[in-house]
Amino acid sequence: MIERLIELARTQSDGADAIWRRSDRTGLEFEAGRLKAAGVSEESGAGLRVVSEGRVGLAGSTAPDPAALVERARASAELGEQVAIAFPKPAQAPDVKTHDRAAADASIEQLMDIGREVVERLTRDGCQVNASVERIVGETTVANSAGAHRSYAESAVVVGADIRRIAGDDVLMVYDQFLAVGLPNAKDLDALVESIVSRLDHALTIAPPPEGSLPVVFTPSGLAAIMLPLEQALSGKAVLQGVSPLASRKDEQVFDPSFGLIDDPLIAGRPSSRPVDDEAVPSARLPLIENGKVRRFIYDLETAARAGVRSTGHGRRGIFGKPHSDYSNLVLRGDHSPLPTTGRGVGSGTIGGGLIADMKDGLIVDDLIGVGQGNVMGGAFSHPVALAYRVQNGAITGRVKDAAVAGNVYELLKKIGGWGNDGRWLGSRWSPSLLLEGVSVASR
Amino acid sequence: MKDRLTAALKASSADYLDIRLESTTSSAVSFRGKRLEAATASVDQGGCVRALNHGCGWGVASFTSLDELPRMVQRADELSRAVRLERPIRLADVAPQQADAIMDLDGDVRGVALADKKRLLQEYNDLMLGVSDRVVDTQASYRDEVTEYWFVNSEGTVLYELRPEVVISGVAIARRNGTIEKGLESIGLRRGWKSAQGHHEAFRVVAERAAALLDAPSVKGGAYPVVLDSELGGVFIHEAFGHLSEADFVYENPQAREMMTLGRRFGNKILNVGDNGAAAGLRGTLAFDDEGTPTRDTALIKEGVLVGRLHSRETAAAMSEAPTGNGRAISFRHPPIVRMTNTYIGAGQGTFEDLIKDIKLGVYACGAFGGQTLLENFSFTAAWGHMIRDGKVAELVKDVVLAGNLFQTLDRIERIAGDFRWNQMGGGCGKGGQFPLPVTEGSPHVRIEEALVGGEVGS
Repeated sequence: MIERLIELARTQSDGADAIWRRSDRTGLEFEAGRLKAAGVSEESGAGLRVVSEGRVGLAGSTAPDPAALVERARASAELGEQVAIAFPKPAQAPDVKTHDRAAADASIEQLMDIGREVVERLTRDGCQVNASVERIVGETTVANSAGAHRSYAESAVVVGADIRRIAGDDVLMVYDQFLAVGLPNAKDLDALVESIVSRLDHALTIAPPPEGSLPVVFTPSGLAAIMLPLEQALSGKAVLQGVSPLASRKDEQVFDPSFGLIDDPLIAGRPSSRPVDDEAVPSARLPLIENGKVRRFIYDLETAARAGVRSTGHGRRGIFGKPHSDYSNLVLRGDHSPLPTTGRGVGSGTIGGGLIADMKDGLIVDDLIGVGQGNVMGGAFSHPVALAYRVQNGAITGRVKDAAVAGNVYELLKKIGGWGNDGRWLGSRWSPSLLLEGVSVASR
Repeated sequence: MKDRLTAALKASSADYLDIRLESTTSSAVSFRGKRLEAATASVDQGGCVRALNHGCGWGVASFTSLDELPRMVQRADELSRAVRLERPIRLADVAPQQADAIMDLDGDVRGVALADKKRLLQEYNDLMLGVSDRVVDTQASYRDEVTEYWFVNSEGTVLYELRPEVVISGVAIARRNGTIEKGLESIGLRRGWKSAQGHHEAFRVVAERAAALLDAPSVKGGAYPVVLDSELGGVFIHEAFGHLSEADFVYENPQAREMMTLGRRFGNKILNVGDNGAAAGLRGTLAFDDEGTPTRDTALIKEGVLVGRLHSRETAAAMSEAPTGNGRAISFRHPPIVRMTNTYIGAGQGTFEDLIKDIKLGVYACGAFGGQTLLENFSFTAAWGHMIRDGKVAELVKDVVLAGNLFQTLDRIERIAGDFRWNQMGGGCGKGGQFPLPVTEGSPHVRIEEALVGGEVGS
């Protein structure tokens, strides 16, 4: 299919690239402790980009008729901007494990067993347990008129579970998920269950919120609010638009010297890993921040062409819409924190990642409300807590409700109080907990 | 197509089966700053089959290749039979419907050249860029679609619908040294090309506001009497209360059922809340939901008391209540789940001026950059705000973030003005991995006795 598409586009334009993607999903929904629904989804489609007289045009369809697709892409190019996109030539791309045969071959009964086990182990009085198991098997092919062509098989398994506990008007929900290319093993399921149960158990007691400028441990999930401004600011597109506060600060000591952030598309067994990006650029590890200094920004073909740099291999595209730049696996680590050597796992360890032993009074923040609202890029944040724990004299004393945390990411990350020993995957991000000092905590 | 679908239905032995088929023709244009990002036209088509057998669970199969329809019907049936249930799933009765629901295409977007759509968006975008040299960046997007829609089920419902939609949005980013502010305009309509015209003023206003916010102080954090404008009032009731009214949150959970017992008092006598999927001409409006149930106006809170909730056929049967036509899916890629349509706070009495005249010091919170609810706790980021001083609207302030507890806040709604309006915004609602679902929110000005306003929390 994609060969014909590129061939046809080549004869009618100055150059083209395309993506073809097929994905088959099998999903199970457990609601209130019982399996309620089983579903499958089969989807395929193609996205085409052509360059015609220096202008770029796009078209996508789930019902790809090559001639119609080329015609629509050419019509789109008539309106398009001039961009000197250079499609990458054929090159050796690394191999990376993106597909697991056992996961692809797993029967629906096997997937049911996984869900049932999780539900059984989470079941307790007065709580509602929901879970889902999803297995995705797919194939991606990217190709261009310069001769680059790469196909790879993919798989992913997601096991998600939540416990809801309602007592009067107090609503508590604790959620976690396993995500990997392959099936979870016994240890992975142990970690998933323990993660949910320990966060629930510590939340049963309500503690009064502290107030003031305090040390706060952000767990891997709590870190979303801290990471989001950096993710936006490290995009080459933001640099190009003149809105990234990090654009002019390359190689300066912006963050704590222990702070490192890498984009790594070559980690075996992660669903966001890939041998080439969606524009056929071979994948490579990219250090974004090293020793607290900004090193690189991510680029796709178009932003790279406009900025006069090379694509870093961060083109991402779906069937519809335009390729844009996006991260693969983001790995956050300090000098001595462990590497994500394995592609699997929810991670283990106690809440707080071993960072609360010396904490006299503070918070552990696991989830915040409203992350992503407001003016993210500037680094200032202010959010009510969704799930947070009070720490007093080195121990968790209960869940804190009705509190809000605020600060500025760029100020807080100048000094990191400690790196946790609880590194784990959360979606496509690996990180341990981080201890940050001087976070503003207010009660209400 | 109807014949093909009814033939596929007849070939199945499932106790209940429905088939939804969609073919969506869309076009999209986007600008970033002065630069056109893309102008494209797309076709997206596919279907979804749901099967339910007695003593079994749901079997669902979705697909993009229509040739696979017979195989997918069979697959859904098999999947249903693979899920054994002790307590069976029941569906509330809905009379079989046969209808062609052709909505007003209002200038069929499929007949308008892509170049004209680009030109229109460029006008809006240029207005934002031209406001001030402080406006350093913009993001503008135009998207339209017309969906041809078929729904059939084994009870005899056969529907054909034509559903148009236009969404136009613009973000103006103003910058002075290290300070960045934004303004957002967003229009979402279940209409066509004609209604996409003439929004120039709105785009200019948001860009001016973004530039003005650069000079505005942050609101000082604390508890204030707060007046919500219509847009924020609508977002508040959708996020903070609407989601709790979705019966799939309560129907399997005894504690949640208790919390949301009909008859419970949630607010003052002046508070009326509802969800109306049948309201004329709104983005969340449809003649039927994605289970073939006719939509309607459902009262949720009447004079402060909980009187109803939103249902799919399954949740309605489980709670022995009537189905409300709120089973919706964002596309053929998903099965329907319980969702809102057009959610509102009903009109009260008096004017905005009446509402604020006895507030000595308060906050007028306007527009919405976003809102999130985590069950009983919520956080809303207003697009901008004004202080209210001595009964009058005073200076512009920024960083107006409202946070609070739903139950306390509903209880503290003390005044509701008579100036109700619907806010037809773009974006949409997200739930269970299904985003963005077209919805509308409506509200008059609403006064909350006291609410926590963040922004500079702790300072």
